[in-house]
Amino acid sequence: MGSNKVLLVEDNSDDVELMLHAFKSGRIANDVDVVRDGESALDYLMRRGSFAGRDKSEQPALILLDLKLPGIDGLEVLRQIRANPDTKRIPVAILTTSDDEADIIRGYDLGVNSYIRKPVGFTAFTDMVEKLGLYWLVVNIAAPS
Amino acid sequence: MRMLISVVLFSTFVTLVSTVLQLYLDYRRDIDVIENHFDEIDRGSLGVIATSLWNVDIDQLQTILDGLLRLPDMQALEVTETGEYTSNLSVKAGSKQKKAALFRDYPIFYTSEGVARRIGTLHAEATFSGVYQRLIDAAVVILVSQAIKIFLVALFIVLIFYQMVGRHLSTISQWLSRYDLTEQRPVLALPGKPRTPPDELDGLVFSLNDMTNRLLGAYRALTDANAQMERDIVARFHAEREVVRLNAILEQRVKQRTFELEAANEELAAFAYSVSHDLRAPLRRIEGFGQILVQEHAEHLDEQAVHYLDRMCAGAKDMADMIDSFLKLSRSTRGELAIETLDLSAMAAETVHRLREKTPDREIDVVIEPGLTVEGDRRLLGVVLENLFENAWKYTRKAAHPSITFGADQQDGKVRFHLRDNGTGFDMAHAKRLFSPFVRLHRPEDFEGTGVGLATVQRIIVRHGGRVWADAQVGVGATFYFTCWEKGTNDGQQ
Ligand SMILES: Nc1ncnc2c1ncn2[C@@H]1O[C@H](COP(=O)(O)OP(=O)(O)OP(=O)(O)O)[C@@H](O)[C@H]1O
Ligand SMILES: [Mg+2]
Repeated sequence: MGSNKVLLVEDNSDDVELMLHAFKSGRIANDVDVVRDGESALDYLMRRGSFAGRDKSEQPALILLDLKLPGIDGLEVLRQIRANPDTKRIPVAILTTSDDEADIIRGYDLGVNSYIRKPVGFTAFTDMVEKLGLYWLVVNIAAPS
Repeated sequence: MRMLISVVLFSTFVTLVSTVLQLYLDYRRDIDVIENHFDEIDRGSLGVIATSLWNVDIDQLQTILDGLLRLPDMQALEVTETGEYTSNLSVKAGSKQKKAALFRDYPIFYTSEGVARRIGTLHAEATFSGVYQRLIDAAVVILVSQAIKIFLVALFIVLIFYQMVGRHLSTISQWLSRYDLTEQRPVLALPGKPRTPPDELDGLVFSLNDMTNRLLGAYRALTDANAQMERDIVARFHAEREVVRLNAILEQRVKQRTFELEAANEELAAFAYSVSHDLRAPLRRIEGFGQILVQEHAEHLDEQAVHYLDRMCAGAKDMADMIDSFLKLSRSTRGELAIETLDLSAMAAETVHRLREKTPDREIDVVIEPGLTVEGDRRLLGVVLENLFENAWKYTRKAAHPSITFGADQQDGKVRFHLRDNGTGFDMAHAKRLFSPFVRLHRPEDFEGTGVGLATVQRIIVRHGGRVWADAQVGVGATFYFTCWEKGTNDGQQ
């Protein structure tokens, strides 16, 4: 794998901005690539379409996935990630505002690594992002590529 | 007809027997008569014959014998001379038969000088042909007359019988063959004059009429009952069809309602889903950017501006909390109940334990009656206990010696759970509104909250077939009561 990138799949630009801000405040230095819908997320990961030229070794170390996306929704993106041998071992954390039980269950059934509900308080959110980055990008040992 | 034959045969037999008897008697009489004649000859004529024979007066003898021959049935007479004189004199009258039926030989004595000497024999022979002829005549007369008599008597008997019984019987039999149970027939009456006193036939007719009357009565009762039954069956059939129809309508309605309800539920679920996503996200942004402003750009803002930003962020957080409570409320009414026997005492103890961990600084006396159980859904009744204990916890905050008791008592044979605290209480005037969502009786400055807790409690208790209500007094405390399965079943779902 080698890459230290984080892929953020989030359709709302404000949320992207807040997330990036939280990364910064949480002192996570990793590169964050942002895609705004499910289609692009899959193109990015499968290196096709506008991402056709992307280096294979540049696969992200962590995918942060919103559930509510225009077009292909987050759970479907997760399913395809897990179905593809190239991407199936990449850690995926669902970051969402919903705490719908059915979504949580389906997320785990499809093999998500973390399911996190974004808290309303920004301070709590920053804390959470910090812990998340610390765990998945520093503590956790990724599958060898 | 058989009777006629029997009568004739029997009469014939009797006639024959009596005729034979009669003939036999006649025969005996005739024989007696002949014997008398023979005796008469002995007494009356033998003397003269002896004299004539002695004198050998042939003519005289012939005359006497001819005279005797005229006696009825006399057939032949012969005098033969016997003794020392063997002139074999013989005088006859009539012709002798080879085999005489009845005869008598008289010895002829002649007495002269006191000496009686046998001088000859008189042979007298009688014939039976006369007797037989008479017997036959008599028999014929008797038989013919008897036959006529028998015939007449038989005819008469038959006539009488027919007149007295036969025609009545045939009337009865005709009447019976025409008899029909289902309709009123003319009364059976015998032809001719009525008999007084009434005989067996009248009795029979009376019984028959009586019987037909009773049969008709029974038949009518039966047909009436049948008709009634038919009407009942028809009525029942109609009623059943009506029931089926109503059932179908009801089913249709239930289906429709269920469908509508399901649609509404789905809508609500979709709404809740969208609320949790779409309403929370903008709040997060407001709060997030506000926080960034407060934390990173405070130097450009005056105190007042920072205060406003603070309030803005607090408002956003409150609203997020409300949305969460609202979602909890909506979830409490959805999904199947997983009913099991729950140890409420243990669940209450767990809830208290969690609350103590959350607020370690609170010192509250909690008494939980042991062994309280109920049939219910663990998750939902857990939410109930959590909300009630949370409230008791919260609203005893200002009490000097806060205490909470959880127990149960019997009311009308039903278990009633109660949770009592000695907190701030509330005005009973508002007791009813307490269970509506977002209704609060205290100011947020005094006691924070969204006002959804008791609404959630009520929905869950209703789904468990029970009621929840409160009793309180300002400054003294509040007691919340709840029951489950008041209608006795634990499988009904609201
Ligand atoms: N034990 C209690 N003593 C006094 N007042 C109470 C008690 N429990 C409830 N109340 C009153 O009933 C109101 C409604 O209670 P409810 O639990 O629904 O809302 P809440 O506690 O204010 O908010 P939350 O949604 O956080 O539970 C409360 O605001 C309070 O005024
Ligand atoms: Mg409450």
